[in-house]
Amino acid sequence: MSTAAEPGILIEHLFRRQSGRMVAHFTRLLGPSGLDVAEEAVQEAMLRALQSWPHQGTPPNPEAWLFRVAHNVAIDRVRRNQMSFGKTEELIGELSRSAGEHPNDPGVPEQLGDDELSMIFMCCHPDISTDAQVALSLKTVGGFSVPEIARAFLLDDATIAQRLVRAKRQIRKQGLTLERPTGPGMERRLDAVLSVIYFLFNEGYAALAGDDLIRFDLCREALRLGRLVASSSLASPKVHALVALMALQGARLPARVNEAGDLVLLDDQDRSRWDEASLALGFGHFDLSIAGNEISRYHIEAAIAATHARSARGKATDWPLILQLYDQLLAFDPSPVVALNRAVALAKVHGPAKALEAIEPLQEEPRLREYYLLLALRGQLLLELGREPEAATTFRSALECRCSEPERRFLRRKLADCNQSAPSYRALTPGASRA
Amino acid sequence: MAQFMLLLYDNPEKWKTLSPDEMQKALEKYMGWVKQPFTLDSKRLAPDPGRVLRSHGKRSSVSDGPYSETKEVLGGYYTIDAADYDAAVKLALEHPHLEYGGTIELRKVYSE
Repeated sequence: MSTAAEPGILIEHLFRRQSGRMVAHFTRLLGPSGLDVAEEAVQEAMLRALQSWPHQGTPPNPEAWLFRVAHNVAIDRVRRNQMSFGKTEELIGELSRSAGEHPNDPGVPEQLGDDELSMIFMCCHPDISTDAQVALSLKTVGGFSVPEIARAFLLDDATIAQRLVRAKRQIRKQGLTLERPTGPGMERRLDAVLSVIYFLFNEGYAALAGDDLIRFDLCREALRLGRLVASSSLASPKVHALVALMALQGARLPARVNEAGDLVLLDDQDRSRWDEASLALGFGHFDLSIAGNEISRYHIEAAIAATHARSARGKATDWPLILQLYDQLLAFDPSPVVALNRAVALAKVHGPAKALEAIEPLQEEPRLREYYLLLALRGQLLLELGREPEAATTFRSALECRCSEPERRFLRRKLADCNQSAPSYRALTPGASRA
Repeated sequence: MAQFMLLLYDNPEKWKTLSPDEMQKALEKYMGWVKQPFTLDSKRLAPDPGRVLRSHGKRSSVSDGPYSETKEVLGGYYTIDAADYDAAVKLALEHPHLEYGGTIELRKVYSE
């Protein structure tokens, strides 16, 4: 990775990115019990950059500067904490040797990428609870802070901090290292890693939390991690399917909100605002994903995203195919959320009455009771069936659920439609949930 | 035109609560200010307590310090060009140091 940037101009998220790879690098050198020291050394290097760069100018290679200073801090900390490390001299020797390397020297970027990969695999160890796996991956590999993670998941800082403490305790207790498992253990761990990445992406994608960009960052981080796995020796069709789904779906992010900050449904999206590079990346991985015999849920979701991406205009979308894919997905994952998304495709293919019928049982689902999307879809279907008073009541209930400001404005517009004598029908598409 | 000094005080501990991303943003804002055409000079002071020299009659003493009561310490300074105090205040109000909770002492450089 080259950062031969103009002096004074840093590449976007340089610190966050470098933080992840440096923490992984030091954790490999110091062992997992040195994770805290690794994090401290990286933070201290960045603090020193903050103090000196504005006055002395940006160094010619900011990455190398951070790398070197973090090494010096780590050596200093290891020397001071002699007791807790045991093999102090050996470690210092190792750190000094590594400090002499330039992050762009031949082989070093590959090693750093490999360290990051190993770090995610350690974070997803089965002895660490799933919610802690997510928090730990974001903190150590992603370079996110506790408040940032808390904001992304709408939780308080203390909850996230606790999860991290528990995860680190497990790491020490089990003596986990950055060595990756082999054989069937590897296969299971890879699945855990993919599901954490998938979770990150969906969390980021699911809702627009006001003007908060943090969720957009989650999607980007998930895609980055997915690509890291896909570019390693661990790549498999399933990995490519996950990357394809994230890239194809993520390509729509810029078009999902208009200049006014309002939610734009899939049918109405300006497709010229879909991220062309992300689409190309997605189709590339999609092609690689169909190599094997295995069909995972990622494959099906990638196929759905690809079908949308292929449509030049909203009207040309192959809805029968999408419905068929949702039927398959439902067989994999008979969850109410998948059923809800399927109902949208059902309405497109067989009309609103059929879809309304399909979502009736979902209203009994405790997980969906407070979910505005179910009510938003129901309201829309009622509206399409000319049952305005019922639609209005449903949109009003939807407004009482937790949702973001743009979503709220969308619901208010829908409510206004109900009160017009000639309602302007605007078919709800997967845009509502998968816009 | 006159010259003014901005003496920047802050609590160094508070920077530790920033995420890498936030640190980069802060860094870019401070760097931006150094590049302003009216900024003549800027220096960051080392994050140690420094020394205080005092006179005791014929003897002088040297001690570590100043160790003020408050957590805020003088961390750096800028020298800027401005027409008068009003103009200097206007410029200094835009300094990111305030956004990050620091204090700025503004002093005019004496000249006849």
